Amino acid sequence: MNIIEKIKAYIVQSISDITPDEIDADDDLLGSGIIDSMGMMKLVIFIEEELDIKIPDADMIVENFMTLQNINDYLLQRKDVDLKQD
Amino acid sequence: MIYNLVQLIEKKASQFSEKDAFRCLDASISYGELHRKSSQLAQHLNAMGVQKGDRIGIYLNRCLETAPAVYGILKSGAAYVPLDPFAPAARTIAILEDCGIEILMTGKSHKKALAQITANSDQIKTLIGDIQGASIATVSWEDIFSCSLETYSPVRILEQDLAFILYTSGSTGVPKGIMHTHYSGLSLAKIAADTYDFGSDDIFGNPAPLHFDPSTFGYFVAPLVGATTVILPDAYLKLPVSLSALIAKENISVWYSVPLMLIQLLLSGTLEKHDFSALRWVLFAGEVFSTKHLRALMLIWPHTRFSNLYGPAELILCTYYHVKEPPVSDDPISIGTVWANTAYKILGRDNQEVVKGSTGELVVRSATRMHGYWNNVALTEQSFHRIKIAEGYEHIYYRTGDLVRENENGELLFLGRNDRQIKLRGYRVELDEVEAVLLRDAQVEEVAVVVVGMDNEAQELVAFIKRVADGDTFDTDSLIHWCATELPAYAIPKTVRLLDNFPRTSSGKIDRKAMAAMIELT
Repeated sequence: MNIIEKIKAYIVQSISDITPDEIDADDDLLGSGIIDSMGMMKLVIFIEEELDIKIPDADMIVENFMTLQNINDYLLQRKDVDLKQD
Repeated sequence: MIYNLVQLIEKKASQFSEKDAFRCLDASISYGELHRKSSQLAQHLNAMGVQKGDRIGIYLNRCLETAPAVYGILKSGAAYVPLDPFAPAARTIAILEDCGIEILMTGKSHKKALAQITANSDQIKTLIGDIQGASIATVSWEDIFSCSLETYSPVRILEQDLAFILYTSGSTGVPKGIMHTHYSGLSLAKIAADTYDFGSDDIFGNPAPLHFDPSTFGYFVAPLVGATTVILPDAYLKLPVSLSALIAKENISVWYSVPLMLIQLLLSGTLEKHDFSALRWVLFAGEVFSTKHLRALMLIWPHTRFSNLYGPAELILCTYYHVKEPPVSDDPISIGTVWANTAYKILGRDNQEVVKGSTGELVVRSATRMHGYWNNVALTEQSFHRIKIAEGYEHIYYRTGDLVRENENGELLFLGRNDRQIKLRGYRVELDEVEAVLLRDAQVEEVAVVVVGMDNEAQELVAFIKRVADGDTFDTDSLIHWCATELPAYAIPKTVRLLDNFPRTSSGKIDRKAMAAMIELT
């Protein structure tokens, strides 16, 4: 499972009551109400634990976290993250 | 003379045709364009049969389309009813049915939530907006904005016509609709513009969603003075680092929000990084601003003036207090005194004015007062305090339900609610409503909901529950899930505590203070 699939699964399981096929990679997660501010905090903690990284507050910006695609791109450009895990 | 809200746009369209009326990230709409597009929408609505006094819903998050939606509905003679697109479907349906909304303005971000609504209710007949594949008739913005206005004849709108209905939680569990007229909305705009000396060079930051009364600043006060309103999108409001950069980039000069949002900006640690020299007014309302944070913010923005506003949505606003210096002590700051065209009294339990300096309920008479609650004459009457001045002439005061005291400088000090309605992070929550919802769960025998936490930011709801005698295991998750289908997220208790016996006062009432103390101790 890639990280986006894992994040999706986590959102469905622990944050939102929607089904995985209802979230698209370019859905505005916060603006469509899929996750709220509390959910965003949970999501960040999940990513940090899953990838064993620290996401600094300064990186908590719209460009990095608005959509699943944004999150993916953000993690890709972080040199300390190995996304090629199984 | 301007006597209704649509004239704001008519007038500014001739004066500032090319100027941005509203902006939202890369999208913008000029006054001229807003005037034309809102007329096109009104023409379409009238052709659909919309008449004066009809209600039309706006089911949109913070986006540019809200501007033509608001003014198009008003021009059609109808009243707009803003709905929280993140509220549970059951609550939205209750509002749609309560005020008979058949037409809804919406967008593609809300497609999934809308599907839930249309699956459970056939109240909505037509959708307007950029949304495809919905199960009911849909008209796109493109269809509307491509229509010619050659044969358009505008509806004549009077100052006492209904303009908008804001829904808020009601104590019986049914949301109540606060009706504002063109007169009360326009009065708010005029008084606010005079109080703060707003001008056409101002740029208003609008963080409030449309269903929250502070949005009247961005949507009506700014157009009155010919300023530009910057609509701040939802994602930015949840990511303060981005919000801080956006406020600076947009050169926002007037900011109005709940204190919590300002505290989040402050704590984001980014305020020193950007240039906020354009920011000349920071207004806040809705809850008490902790002096510690206000002081820190005033020191970071020494060139900015700060003002504390107060008013229930029934009055929109009614008092103001300019905070001249960073507060020295930790005493709560005053809510000040009433602004123009507004009068008040402080009443004791006997409905008589209290002696100066004593605590009582604040009642307010103002040009911004609501017309009443939608479809609820009894509740409206209950909320008014009438004083007969002469035969056939009376003054109507709105009972705020807030306890205040006047200090030696004639400033009002806010002391809390005199009933069970509370403010939680700026949201109005009726504790009785939350209890009523919990009680409908089959596992629950008796319930008491209390607020715990001293700091405004840290306050939360705790539900104490006595479960039914024959119940075996108690399923907290299913209870919270039930709440989520009936209540907005902010009104769902964060903690559930099971108790076999509730503490009681001597008169046999549930002792909620004792319960709150049980939580504070642990």
